[in-house]
Amino acid sequence: MHSLSRRLLVSVSVPLALFFGVMMYVLDTGFRALSDRTLQELLDSQMVALVAAAEPQPNGGYAPPLHDIDPRLARPRSGLFAQIRSPKHEWRSPSTAGTAIDFGPLLKQGERSFAYTEIGHDRAAIESRGLQFEDEPQGTKSLTFSVAVSLSPYEEQLWRFRRRMLGSFSGLMLLLLLTLAALLRWVLAPVRRLEREIHEVEEGRSEILGDGYPRELSGVARNLNALLVGERKRVARYRDTLGNLAHGLKTPLAVMQSTLTNESAVISASTFGAEIDRMRDIIAHQLKRAAASGGALLGQAPVDVTQLAVDLRLALLKVYASKDLSIELAIERESQFIGDRGDFTELLGNLVDNACKWCRSRVRVTVRIDPQAEARARLSLIVEDDGPGISEEDRARVLQRGVRTDESVPGHGLGLAMVRDTVDLYGGTLAIDSSPLGGARFSLTLPGR
Amino acid sequence: MRVLVVEDEAVLRDTLKARLVDSGFTVDVAQDGEEAVFAGLEYPLDVAIVDLGLPKLPGLEVIRRLRAARKTYPILILTARDNWQDKVEGLQAGADDYVAKPFHFEEVLARLHALLRRAGGWASPELKCGPILLDTRTQTVKVSGAAVELTTFEYRILEHLMLRAGDVISKTELTERLYDQDFERDSNVIEVLVGRLRRKLDPQDDLKPIETLRGRGYRFALARDQATNTPG
Repeated sequence: MHSLSRRLLVSVSVPLALFFGVMMYVLDTGFRALSDRTLQELLDSQMVALVAAAEPQPNGGYAPPLHDIDPRLARPRSGLFAQIRSPKHEWRSPSTAGTAIDFGPLLKQGERSFAYTEIGHDRAAIESRGLQFEDEPQGTKSLTFSVAVSLSPYEEQLWRFRRRMLGSFSGLMLLLLLTLAALLRWVLAPVRRLEREIHEVEEGRSEILGDGYPRELSGVARNLNALLVGERKRVARYRDTLGNLAHGLKTPLAVMQSTLTNESAVISASTFGAEIDRMRDIIAHQLKRAAASGGALLGQAPVDVTQLAVDLRLALLKVYASKDLSIELAIERESQFIGDRGDFTELLGNLVDNACKWCRSRVRVTVRIDPQAEARARLSLIVEDDGPGISEEDRARVLQRGVRTDESVPGHGLGLAMVRDTVDLYGGTLAIDSSPLGGARFSLTLPGR
Repeated sequence: MRVLVVEDEAVLRDTLKARLVDSGFTVDVAQDGEEAVFAGLEYPLDVAIVDLGLPKLPGLEVIRRLRAARKTYPILILTARDNWQDKVEGLQAGADDYVAKPFHFEEVLARLHALLRRAGGWASPELKCGPILLDTRTQTVKVSGAAVELTTFEYRILEHLMLRAGDVISKTELTERLYDQDFERDSNVIEVLVGRLRRKLDPQDDLKPIETLRGRGYRFALARDQATNTPG
């Protein structure tokens, strides 16, 4: 039962079969009632004809003249039989020749009976009536008239009807199910396509899922693609990070090693200290970059910007307690960042920390939601201060992609490089210019709502 | 100044202790969270350095318990997990500043001095009261612009008194915070040192920077020159 089609087919065919079964039962009952009435009418009309045709015979019995009766009564084994019986006499139609039929007992005046009996291998219906003929010279005669009809033709007809009914109903049901199966195949084609495409991605034959899925599946496909792209980015980032780490760490290691093995070199704490600092910076930078999840991935609750900013503000006021500064928050109510909480905390932490470091006394954080903007740029974040600002030249260097730690602007280094990387990961934008407060202004757009 | 160092990594702990002692601190150490809470509650500390990743009790919890017990001395967080979420959590728990591992000792020292200053209500590393100027960065003292040579203990006493200029500081407190526990407390070393300090700072005996309040302790009597912050 693991196939949707099979489930649907089974669940449809059961009520369908039930429906046809009931239909067949009703039709069969109707057909049999009809055929019983036909039989009854035949028996009645034969009875009337027999009674009307019966004439007294010289031997004291009664019999119809053969030319007056139904020709079937004259033809042996025709399936129609008759008998006229009195206590002393008995007449049987010629059709009974060679057939043993028990027409039942004698009946009294006015009595009627109806019974089924066996004639050889066939079944027959027998109707009998007890009558008295009074206008006879011999006086009153008590007679029993019986007519019997073989049921074989009726039964045969019934079975033919049933066979036809069963045949056409089964055919109809098969046709319905086949149509349904075909429909299902057509309806489920996108699902099969999805499965196939996922399989292709698994096997590395394809990068992402294609477009053109019906509305019900396009969301799934889109999210899967986002997941795939996010995952691929992440893997690429880890690979980059490992490469950069290896490269970055080997150089200072090599310096230290060569210093140690070179006997003429002076081994000094400062040489090693400098190399250790380099290694520390490289590790900090690369690991931070790699740690940014950068996913508008699935299953992430939107981040409440206000709460996070309020906490951060209190924390930073503590850290910069010796500096007489104010951090103003102008955050639109219920602003939310769509993405990883840690990423946003890092982003905001680095920006505001940087602003606190450089400001004279004022730092301002502004967050707005622009419902008209594209989804990934809906949240606008501005962090500005009243410090010395950043020169044109340094702005460009901060924004430049792929600048390595040791090349980035001193003092604005690590933190801002990380901010830039994270913004890139989320497909947002980062701009630096001058704030009306007098210092630097960082303007970001990020996914939000 | 008496500092508690809470760090589970033995080498780091020992190095920190040695260098802090060299820099004029009295140092207590704890190697796990439970020891840290005990030391933090029992010793007369001026400041604590707490590593966040600790055995037995996490550093954050240590800080929360100390703050819950109304310990108000500044706490500096050491953390290898250098991300803002952790920093904010630590500061929310009651810490006052953080240093990310690996660190330069000078960085830790600078932060410690800054915290102590802030706790005393000083905004800048130069403590100035009238003609007396004490620079906590260089650990030098000038009177009316002329350098005064002080011994380590003399400097420590002066720093302690000046950081809390205006407050009365008992002899016991000075002893406890300047020496290790095994120091003999009844000795009159403090009195001798304070006497020497007075002579060095105020040879003419006209400034009278250090008051003696009999039975209560000492007070740095000169008014602070700086605009002060509220402690804490």
